[in-house]
Order: sequence, then structure tokens, then C-alpha cells
Amino acid sequence: MKLKRIAVILLAGLFLYLTLYTWNLRTGHLDTFSAHTGLDFSGWVLRPGDWIADKAVGFWERYVYLVGLKQENDLLREDNRRLRLENMTLAERSRATVRLERLLRFAPPEGWAMEGARVVAHRMGPAGVLDTVLVDKGSGQGVSEDTPVVCAEGVVGSVMRAGLASSTVLLISDMNSRVAVVGLKNRAAGILAGQGWGRDLSVKYMKLNAALEPGEILVTSGLGGVFPKGLPVARVSGINRSDISLFLDVRAEPLMDADGLEEVLILRRLPAEKGPGD
Amino acid sequence: MFKALWWTAFVLAGIWAQSFLPGVDLLAAGLVVCLQEEDWLAALWLGLALIFVQEGVGSLAFGYSILWYGGLGLLYFLGRRAFEPESVLFMCLLGAGLGLLHVLCAMASGLLQGIELPLRRLALEAVLQAAVFPVEWLALGRVFPDRLRRHEHFL
Repeated sequence: MKLKRIAVILLAGLFLYLTLYTWNLRTGHLDTFSAHTGLDFSGWVLRPGDWIADKAVGFWERYVYLVGLKQENDLLREDNRRLRLENMTLAERSRATVRLERLLRFAPPEGWAMEGARVVAHRMGPAGVLDTVLVDKGSGQGVSEDTPVVCAEGVVGSVMRAGLASSTVLLISDMNSRVAVVGLKNRAAGILAGQGWGRDLSVKYMKLNAALEPGEILVTSGLGGVFPKGLPVARVSGINRSDISLFLDVRAEPLMDADGLEEVLILRRLPAEKGPGD
Repeated sequence: MFKALWWTAFVLAGIWAQSFLPGVDLLAAGLVVCLQEEDWLAALWLGLALIFVQEGVGSLAFGYSILWYGGLGLLYFLGRRAFEPESVLFMCLLGAGLGLLHVLCAMASGLLQGIELPLRRLALEAVLQAAVFPVEWLALGRVFPDRLRRHEHFL
């Protein structure tokens, strides 16, 4: 009798869960709610995290490393440390300036506007199974799902979930990422698919007789409707012509470095200008 | 008031810590402590907050965290029939169960959504989760304030 009751409770729970799950898949209400609560909250928590980490490291160095030293030695070391820190800060600022200058040189495609965003965190939590990064711009700044995200080197990915002030970006390296591309030189078309973190990308459905060279840059073809045409994505690293397949087996390495991502550019489609007759 | 503040600080610290260990839940031990303390109201609020935090930062459609924290609660209540609920051995087994649960929940979500998942990385995260959970529980037990304890035997 007890076993029967447990089975009924489990079945009822499963039914409720699947009802909730399919309702959310259809409407997206729970995803939106969790993006506007959990994602935004975590974004706000993570942003001052860097500042706290700096302070904690400073505290450690000041109160643990320097314990037991004489006052004068302490002062000299402090002076030396301050200068080194200043030097490090200036060097970091200089590196950041170089990075930001490169980002600024990136010209958005016609009909698109760009906005800078900082990478706050990489994938996190047990439900973060896909290759993603968290950025500090959300729907409050005009970001929406499928918004293209690029860096100075090339395409980074697209927004998969947007909170009010934070968004999750699906990287092109993820196994579920697909980007329509063409070769920059020979214009051979294919679909660029992610193979997982740290692994080369794969180009699917490229015709066996397509003209493609190792080292050729692949750019977005604009066919998917998500990315504007002509953005660099990857460089061809290997081509195999198989006897048993109708398509080329092409490997490509992404141009962007996912590990080193700190700032990105978010591309937003500008509203179409109205003609005189409109 | 103190309780709410303490658990809020715990969640903030947990979110921050999670950004250094991708794929691992560093907040689950808090829920287990609430269950051990038989503080059902705190467990309910914390559970709800954790579901929305994990779903928010996660990359799957809503549902993974319900299975995840629901499974954790089920494992805890089933396990405490056979083991001493406050023992390290039980926590190690619960950690191993959580590791397995991570793979199962992710695969179920992936199947329902029709997406591909990196299985090798999931397995690695499962091992990490199993190893981290007892340590996290022990650490939480050390810093858990006396005035929030209902049971003296908890660590």
C-alpha cells in the first residue's frame, strides 16, 4: 500500500514537472523570470567580486607577508611594492588600452550598431553545461536573444539569454553552435559547428569539389539571419577529402581566444530607415 | 533577520565561488544544512532562491535545478534512513550521489531540449562535485553561527 502511494506521488511529480517544463518551453516565462532574477542577481554579485579580490590580496600581502619585519624595512618594502603595483597597474592599463583601441577600430557592418560589454564570468553552476560567458549588458541596454557578439579578432557567439543588466552568450566553440560561413577567398559555403571547449571547429556541408585552401579565413555568410555578412570567424586548419562522404571534412580554428576574453562588442541591428514613400 | 542576512551572505559567497569552479554547485551544502537543522521554512526559501540562481546562470531551459535540488532532497531523506545524517560518511555518499545526479539531470535536460552535451566534461564535473561537496559541508559546519543551530549535535 505504501509502495503504491510512493509510486503515485512520483508519477504525479513527474507529470507536474513535465507539464511545467513543456509550458515553459512553449512560453519561455520561467526562463525569462530566472534571467531577470538569478542571472541579473549573479551579474550584480560578480561585478564587485574583482574589487573584493583585489582588496583581499592586498590584505593578505600587507598583514601576512610583512608580519615580523622592522618598521623601516616595512616602509621601504611598502614603497617598493607601491611602485611595483603602480607599474603593474599602468602596464595593465596600457594593455587594456591596446585591447580597447583594437575594439574601437572594429567598424560595425552597415545597418548595425555596436556597444562594448565586459565579460563578468565564464560558465558557472551545475546547469551551466554549455560553453558560455556572462556579459554585463542586458535587455535594459537593448540586448536580446540571438544578438551577435564579436571581439576584435572575430565572432565570439550570440546571446542565448538576456536578463535586465546581464546576458549569457553562447560561444561558437559550443557543440550546439552553428554559424553559416563562406571562405573569404574562394567563397565556398558551409556551416561552422562547435566541437566543444578548446577543440577546433568543424565545417559541415561543404561540397566535395568546393575550392578551399588551408589557412583561408572563414567569414559569416549572413544566411542564418543572426550574424551580419562578412565577419571573420575562423581559419581553416585542415581539409580531408573523404571517399565515402559527399562533403569535405574541414577543420578550422576559431580566431577569438575564449580563455582570454575580457571585453566584447555587442552588435545591434539598426531600425531600417524609412524611404520617402513610407 | 540575522538568519536571512546570514543565508544571503552565504548565497553571495557561493555565487562568487562558483565562478571559479565551472559546472560545480557550491551552494547545495547550505540546503543540506537547513534540512539537517530541520529548518523547513529556511530550506524552502533557500531552495527556491537557489533554483532561480542556478537556472539564471545556467545555459539550459528551465527545469534542471528542480530535478537537481529535488533529487538532492530525495537522496537526503532516503539516505538518512540508513545513515547517521550528520556523519561525514553520509556526506561523502551524498556527494557521490550528487555527482551521478549531475550527469543524469544534464542528460535528461539535453534529451528534452535536443542538444548535444560534452559527456567527458560532465563526468569530470561529477567527480569534482563528489569531492567538493563533503568539504563544502564541513566548512559550512565550521562557520555556521551557533545562534542559528537548532541541533547541538551538528558538527
